[in-house]
Amino acid sequence: MKESPETCEVSTSPGFLQKGYSMTALKEFLKKDLVQYIIKRVLMFIPTLLLISILVFFVIQLPPGDYVSAHIAALATEGEFVDADYAASLREDYGLDLPVWQQYIKWVKDIIWTPTDSAYYRLYGSHHNWKFSFAYGRDVWSVVEDRLGLTIGVTFIILLFQYVVSIPIAVYASTHQYSAGDYISAFIGFIGTAIPNFILAIILMYLSYVWTGNANVGLFTQEMLQNGIHLYNFGDFLKRMIIPIIVIGTSGTCGIIRSVRAQMLDEVSKQYTLTARAKGVSERTIVMKYCFRAAINPTVSGLGGVLSSLFSGSTVTAMVLNMQIQGPVLFKALQCQDMYLAGAIVMVQAVLVVIGILFSDIILAFLDPRIRYSGGGR
Amino acid sequence: MKRKVLSILLASAMSITVLAGCGSTPATTEQTTADSVAATETTAAEPAAEVEVDVATYTEAPELAELVSAGSLAPVEERIPDADNIFVDTVDANGDALEIGTYGGVINLAGANGSWDLSRPVLESIIRYNTDGSYYPNVIKEYSFNADYTEWTFKFREGMKWSDGDDFNTDDVTFWYYMVHLTNFDGKASWNALIDYKEDTGETDEEGNAITIPHYATLKKVDDYTVTWTFTQPKYPADFIENGDFKWCWAPSHYLSDLIPDSEGYPYVENEYWASTGLSEEDVLANAIAKGIEAATVKDLGKAVSYNFWNTSGVPNLNSYVLCTTPGNNTRDDSLCILERNPYFWKVDAAGNQLPYCDEIHFNKTSEDGQDLLMFRSGEIDIINIGMQDIAATLADMGDAAELRSFAGTSWGSYQVTFNYTCKDENYATLFANPDFRQAISICVDRQNLSEIVSDGFLEPGQCAPSEGNFGYDAEWEQKWTEYDVDAAKKLLEGCGLVMGSDGFYDFADGSDFTLTFYTYAESGATAAYPVLEQNYTAAGIKCATKEFTVEAFDQEIDNNDWYAVLVPHTAIGGLSLRDRVAPFVPIAQAAEWYGEYGTWYGSDGAQGVEPTGDMAKLIEIYEKWNATPDSSERDAYTLDIYQVHEDNLWSIAYLKGEGSYNLISSKIKNYANNLVSADLYQYANIVHYWTLYKAE
Repeated sequence: MKESPETCEVSTSPGFLQKGYSMTALKEFLKKDLVQYIIKRVLMFIPTLLLISILVFFVIQLPPGDYVSAHIAALATEGEFVDADYAASLREDYGLDLPVWQQYIKWVKDIIWTPTDSAYYRLYGSHHNWKFSFAYGRDVWSVVEDRLGLTIGVTFIILLFQYVVSIPIAVYASTHQYSAGDYISAFIGFIGTAIPNFILAIILMYLSYVWTGNANVGLFTQEMLQNGIHLYNFGDFLKRMIIPIIVIGTSGTCGIIRSVRAQMLDEVSKQYTLTARAKGVSERTIVMKYCFRAAINPTVSGLGGVLSSLFSGSTVTAMVLNMQIQGPVLFKALQCQDMYLAGAIVMVQAVLVVIGILFSDIILAFLDPRIRYSGGGR
Repeated sequence: MKRKVLSILLASAMSITVLAGCGSTPATTEQTTADSVAATETTAAEPAAEVEVDVATYTEAPELAELVSAGSLAPVEERIPDADNIFVDTVDANGDALEIGTYGGVINLAGANGSWDLSRPVLESIIRYNTDGSYYPNVIKEYSFNADYTEWTFKFREGMKWSDGDDFNTDDVTFWYYMVHLTNFDGKASWNALIDYKEDTGETDEEGNAITIPHYATLKKVDDYTVTWTFTQPKYPADFIENGDFKWCWAPSHYLSDLIPDSEGYPYVENEYWASTGLSEEDVLANAIAKGIEAATVKDLGKAVSYNFWNTSGVPNLNSYVLCTTPGNNTRDDSLCILERNPYFWKVDAAGNQLPYCDEIHFNKTSEDGQDLLMFRSGEIDIINIGMQDIAATLADMGDAAELRSFAGTSWGSYQVTFNYTCKDENYATLFANPDFRQAISICVDRQNLSEIVSDGFLEPGQCAPSEGNFGYDAEWEQKWTEYDVDAAKKLLEGCGLVMGSDGFYDFADGSDFTLTFYTYAESGATAAYPVLEQNYTAAGIKCATKEFTVEAFDQEIDNNDWYAVLVPHTAIGGLSLRDRVAPFVPIAQAAEWYGEYGTWYGSDGAQGVEPTGDMAKLIEIYEKWNATPDSSERDAYTLDIYQVHEDNLWSIAYLKGEGSYNLISSKIKNYANNLVSADLYQYANIVHYWTLYKAE
């Protein structure tokens, strides 16, 4: 016997379809065990981040030598020679003469809480001592802070570009399967993925130089670096963003296009779609309101991973394009074994990625209540 | 007041001061009074170019004039010394007359990476060198010394000010010496230039080195602009004013006085001019934060404000440009680091225009090699250091928009090979000691071909000899044993007792195998050259091999005397610095490959190593004479004697001429001299005199 449309919708389509986008659905969603879930997840952050911090700190210290030896080698190339006594006293001052585990414990302890009567608090007025960056000669947090906003901003713009470009293409490709448009979009997507970012960056810089006489090295013009970004020069900034967006953005678009397209194709042939179509629902509503929301799940769940790859994966591209974001600072910190700075950057990235994953899980749960906050198949 | 002054500099180098090893010491050893001080200055001021000077009135940059009109800056006459004390910059480091420039514009440079990079274009030192090694007083107005070189007098320029407008006088000199330098606050445990003598305690440390107590010069303030340095032993120019480390002897007392601690690590040094600050290390770190200076330790702070002070925004100095105070542009790590014109800079051009001409120097940080070249091509950078492989293409593309500027280096040829003259294997030691062997090794290589392969033909064939533009240059020496002749090489090898074996390679006369194993280290550049050399050596019947090490392992092999030959030595003859003068050319330390264990012998007072004989011993003999005389012309003569021994022996063979360095400059940049010399003693780019550059739009 043919099932009634209602039964069919309940059993095979995402739960939200029963309620649509109403405020009631949102309220109900928030009422559920969301808060409890978030608390649980945040608590999970602690061991996760601790584990990451251990890995970071110890891996950075693995190569032979330390910051002082790297620093002395750098001075030697400038013709300045440092005697062994000075090197030893530097190590003592920086605490590098302690065993690594002791350095680690002190590092973590000071980040979590630096007491009010400490020299650090008196100097900087902060309870979180991320230590001193040897390479930059400054408080680590101030170095991280310098580029954090820009890094998040650039990452956000690129992320936005990826979704804004790839999702419509994916929807188009799935609804026009095997059409010329489908092939063209697949071709462009694959080019972005197949060409290594740094090569694409160099090619685009070259073309930019040939066509405009300026290779657009860096995110900012000298004028912006001197006077900051304002409305009058925002256009120039966007111009400078073109190459990074294309290079970093296109590297991820293909994945999104292909996965959304495949999911869409899957959804458009499902029972509930056929039912909706049989009931006379418009094709546009079927695609956008039903199929698309179901198809977007894997993309949303991959958000945390995408954030991570944009953060760290774009380091090489950032260096090729001379972008003033976190990647090249991390590279420099690792190169000269400035472990406190490297540790801080990686930790900040880890925190952001962990938060990104949490958000993606929450959004996912909102989009599809079949995905529960907790186990047990409730 | 209009007066004609003969411009300073570029005297006949040989008669006054030659290269780094010589000073502007008058030939007599009489007490140098005010007259002889003047003579000192005049000697250094023999003209190469005669320039009309008119400094009756001063002119300043329009932006400064505006500030003066607005009342926020004192008039230029009050900011800089009067005509008797001002420094009139009329010629470049080659002695050629400078053009009178125009104010304005920015000089854009690539990023500053090393801790000295920001100082190169701007640092003002006690004295300044010309390309020929002669020098003249710079920050100091005059200097003199007594007959036995135990008292040196420095006179400073009256009316000179720090970059924040505070008066500069000898209080800043006594402050530097007693509060900054002798307390080791600057982290440079007193420079040798200022050590009077070292007292031997008769004790030794864990490594067996003698423990000595240094005794320092006594500094006395004579008046606000005169100080004397007193020693108990003679302090010759080479050890004092010409000592490359001794670049400055002043610090801004008005700014640093609350940053000097009196602690266990930095104890107060008793003196009649300054009392202890009584500050703890924590106090000074807090005071530093209040001034916007971050430092984790007092050691970092001392280095930041009193040694690499050019890197720290807010610290007053005497340079032509100072680091700006705008956050985001005021550290060398910033993407755009800006040095601004010092409104109190104490130099003017021949027309009385206060220098510098350009408003700012910008350092544009890039993260990758090549990005700065792209920026140069698109006009965002005006001056760039460029590898020789990029010169031709860039100039061809840019046409009239760019110009090349060459700097001679101080190396004695490139792609040097040298041999272990103290080799443990007797067969090899005897062979290497034979000059005919070295001649064979030299002439069996097709230098032109090598040049094409390793430098696109850019480096010309040459020998291990002083580069053109350097003291002791000799065209004949530079071409000695450079004519390619494989047959002659074979004859020479046979003359050395080598016997051709059945495999087509030479063996030792006793039938033992002869293989020339070249030790190299990573990043030495030897990798590119070795295959070409191998081909050439093989054609001459020499079996060869190569072993590449890390630098540390390489040095270890050399120290252990476990090696035969080296391609591109770690310590090549010549070296990067003129600071040591003849030291790189004599076997006196455990350092260079070309003398191996002979140097260890001298360095350990005969306790270790191999005692030098023949010409190696002759080098030491001449060096000891060189060391014992304060007379610069005598020193020059001894230096040339040392060079002659090198020319006779050629212990190192170089295949190509020394590699200099190259800058491309925008054609808009004017007054940038060509054929300068890049050397540590000259502080590399400092010899360009950036404050005299101007931009013609």
